[in-house]
Amino acid sequence: MSRYVVQRTFPEGLQIPVADGGAELCRGVVERNAEDGVTWICSFVSEDRTRTFCVYDAPTPEAIRRTAARNELPVDEITRVSVLDPYFYA
Amino acid sequence: MRAPGRALDVDAVELLEREQQLAALAAALGDVAEHRTGMVVLVHGEAGIGKTALLRRFCAQAEGSVRVLWATCDPLFTPRPLGPLLDIARSTDGELREQVEGGGQPYEVTHALVDELDRRSPSVVVVEDLHWADEATLDVLRLCARRIYAVPALLIATYRDDSLAASHPLRVILGELPSALCERQELSRLSHTAVATLAQSSTLDAGELYERTGGNPFYVTEVLAAGGGLIPPTVRDAVLARSAALSGAARDVLEAVAIVPQRTEVWLLEALVQRALDGLDECLESGILRGEADGVAFRHELARLAIEESLTPHRAVVLHRRALVALAQPAIGRPDLARLAHHAEAAGDTDAVLGYSPLAAEHAAAVGAHREALNQYGRALRFAAGLAPERRADLLERLADEGFLTDMRAEGLAALDEALAIHRDSGERLRAGDVLRLRARMKSDMGRTAEARVDVREATEILERLPPGIELARTYAEVSCLTLQADDAEQTIAWGQKAIALADRLGDTDALAHALNTIGTVELSRGDMGGKEKLERSLELARSAGELRYVAMAYINLCAALSQLGRYLEMARYADEGIKYCEEHGLEAWTKWLLAAKTELQLALGLWDRAAEAATSILDTPTSTMAAVHGALLVRALVRARRGDPDHRDPLDRAQEMARTVGDLQWLAPVAAAYAECAWLEGRPQEIEAVTQAAFELAQEQSAPSFVGELGLWRSRAGLLDEPPVDAGEPYSYEIAGDWARAASYWRENGCRYEAALALAASRDGKALRQALAELQVLGARPAAAIVAGRLRELGERGLPRGPRPKTRANPAGLTARELEVLQLLTEGLRNAQIAGRLVLSEKTVDHHVSAILRKLNVRSRGEAAATATRLGLRGP
Repeated sequence: MSRYVVQRTFPEGLQIPVADGGAELCRGVVERNAEDGVTWICSFVSEDRTRTFCVYDAPTPEAIRRTAARNELPVDEITRVSVLDPYFYA
Repeated sequence: MRAPGRALDVDAVELLEREQQLAALAAALGDVAEHRTGMVVLVHGEAGIGKTALLRRFCAQAEGSVRVLWATCDPLFTPRPLGPLLDIARSTDGELREQVEGGGQPYEVTHALVDELDRRSPSVVVVEDLHWADEATLDVLRLCARRIYAVPALLIATYRDDSLAASHPLRVILGELPSALCERQELSRLSHTAVATLAQSSTLDAGELYERTGGNPFYVTEVLAAGGGLIPPTVRDAVLARSAALSGAARDVLEAVAIVPQRTEVWLLEALVQRALDGLDECLESGILRGEADGVAFRHELARLAIEESLTPHRAVVLHRRALVALAQPAIGRPDLARLAHHAEAAGDTDAVLGYSPLAAEHAAAVGAHREALNQYGRALRFAAGLAPERRADLLERLADEGFLTDMRAEGLAALDEALAIHRDSGERLRAGDVLRLRARMKSDMGRTAEARVDVREATEILERLPPGIELARTYAEVSCLTLQADDAEQTIAWGQKAIALADRLGDTDALAHALNTIGTVELSRGDMGGKEKLERSLELARSAGELRYVAMAYINLCAALSQLGRYLEMARYADEGIKYCEEHGLEAWTKWLLAAKTELQLALGLWDRAAEAATSILDTPTSTMAAVHGALLVRALVRARRGDPDHRDPLDRAQEMARTVGDLQWLAPVAAAYAECAWLEGRPQEIEAVTQAAFELAQEQSAPSFVGELGLWRSRAGLLDEPPVDAGEPYSYEIAGDWARAASYWRENGCRYEAALALAASRDGKALRQALAELQVLGARPAAAIVAGRLRELGERGLPRGPRPKTRANPAGLTARELEVLQLLTEGLRNAQIAGRLVLSEKTVDHHVSAILRKLNVRSRGEAAATATRLGLRGP
């Protein structure tokens, strides 16, 4: 399992309802990801909500693209990353 | 407390907490009946979880409104080929029965089965214990599942998921089932509450009963049925405790039934024990045995095993001997060779094993169950210590042949090694030479080409000293083939012609088909279309002679040569036909090879999602076909690199390692080209010289036009060449010579949009570059698009498009325009054949579209799809 950051662009802005709908939406995404062994760790959303940086654990880049297609999410760029902890050396 | 041995309502135990599953099955059957669209349901769980009980209850409820066809795969060490289909066929008549009993090939049986299911409606087909199924049965089910959509049948298969090895063929098939029409039901163990309810009728402690049995319904049943105040420590002990309470006559029956896997016919039982019927009633009444249509069986395989293992070795042998005698002259039908071989082995009867196993193997091979054939030869060989060396060598060679066909080459190779030693020992030079030839092919397919060449050289030396026969002709053909792999055209043709001359004289189709195949390939890959004719001829020759392997090889080589020429659209037909042929004939190893070729094709045609998926499925399955793995690794690496996705280095390095082990240009050149492309895409063109050097020199040395061309092109893109090298083939030579427009149109005509865009990218013309940019953006080729955009900016071009935004989809389901068209017609109630006619598509293509629609809409039937379409306003493009 590797960790990846996926950059996505939402020209119209990303809209996730705060109420029930949002929870359901996210749960749906999580479930569909699980079918391919992909785990959504968290996402960072730009202030204008047009770009997101999503952190995933996944077996392959293909699995990320496949789940993105199923969830109807755009993919701009996938980058494999590792953790650098600034306080590790302290 | 319950009296020991008294009947317990076992079904009641095993059906506890199964209401939901029964309801789901009923709903599925309802859909099938209403929409005449078939479905597959997979019921899985550990041994003793109650799969059979669930399905019996479901079928009992459904009986009357539907036809139920029930089949069980048998736990013989080597199952009967098409055994379960035989069960089904017996309750039908006509074509299906004829095909199964007459030894039809899996695809013929499938056709007959599908027709049978289509004729009456609706049917429930139950196939139990798929983890024991033989290869031919699995092939039939796989082919049938693909067409299930078109017939009104609910196909329910059960399997144990706790005993499936990673390489089990069933795993592959489960992965391939069309997900839109396939549902899985996992059966879980009984809850604490359920066990507590059951324990109320006994003196047992509910908590302890739950803990010991883990809530396994079979275990719980056995403990309760055994009675007494103690909980036996294992299932086996529970079964034995229960049977201990039976009378002597009943125990005799139990022991006899225990040595017969699956079910025991009444006539067989009578042959095994005297006065069998006396004890039988007691066994049935106690619920340990169950009456079947034409015999009796243990209620559960776990119970049968427990009793069988408790027999003294002597008692077991006596029973198996009686079974052997009785089955050799059955009361009904013909003797079943697989069953006879099974009992012969269990009885330790060497003569019987050596008599029945090879016959069972031949029968299995004839119906395409090559794995079972391999196992039957293996069984015979375990008893072959006293056999004359030549006969043992013959069995070994036959086993090797089955290993060759089933992608079990390691086993096959070991057998050939042994056979060779025997022939050498006994001075059988002719056979030794022939086995060396066979071993060369085996090793070559396993990627051990250098060793293969040593073998074939020795074979030639041995056989040339003997009067020329078919063995020599076939060896010449093999030499030619191995020379082709090294891309030495002249030598390939010379050896091939020697083979053809001798084969013609002796009338040997094997050598002739092989040599034509090889020469055709070498000519075609050099752009000589006469080669294609030779390959077609070889294909026809092999097809009519039933030489399966050369049919497969003709397809493979047509694909390989056409792909080298970049003629991908032409190649598509052969890849599809070849895959169909190999699947239908159970040729697993070659199916994989062709699937890998198809993956390359998808990459070339810009179908990157599909290419990546297909590569993954090849790489996730263990195979001894190294060329398939090599091809799939390259496709995986290139899809990632072309999209700008991470992790392309690792598959590329692995492919390179394999290529270096083999050492042939055909393996090395594509890897070198892929490294060059990656370096170029990542903005490091200066590395291209080093990564292509060795392969480029080798390609020139062997004057291999497509490889000289492809590697030359990358070198020219890195500024290392100004004009095409001698021997560079089309279309590569065009771009190297500066005629990018001609190169682009060649690629476009062959369906290769990415290659066409890269050719346009070589121009300094703003319009061509913009066209390339647009195309690359559509393909999602981010790094190449960035390079082209850079070139446009260098030319001073402004206002470059940023590529298509991920569209706000017109419909939430993400259907393509074509799928919307199909959905529209489907909503109007048209059948697939009618839709195909309306849209001028093949029915198969419509099948695929409908499957995709069902999947995307997340519905199970056409009716639901229509309803969803109306609800979502998806009708019409």
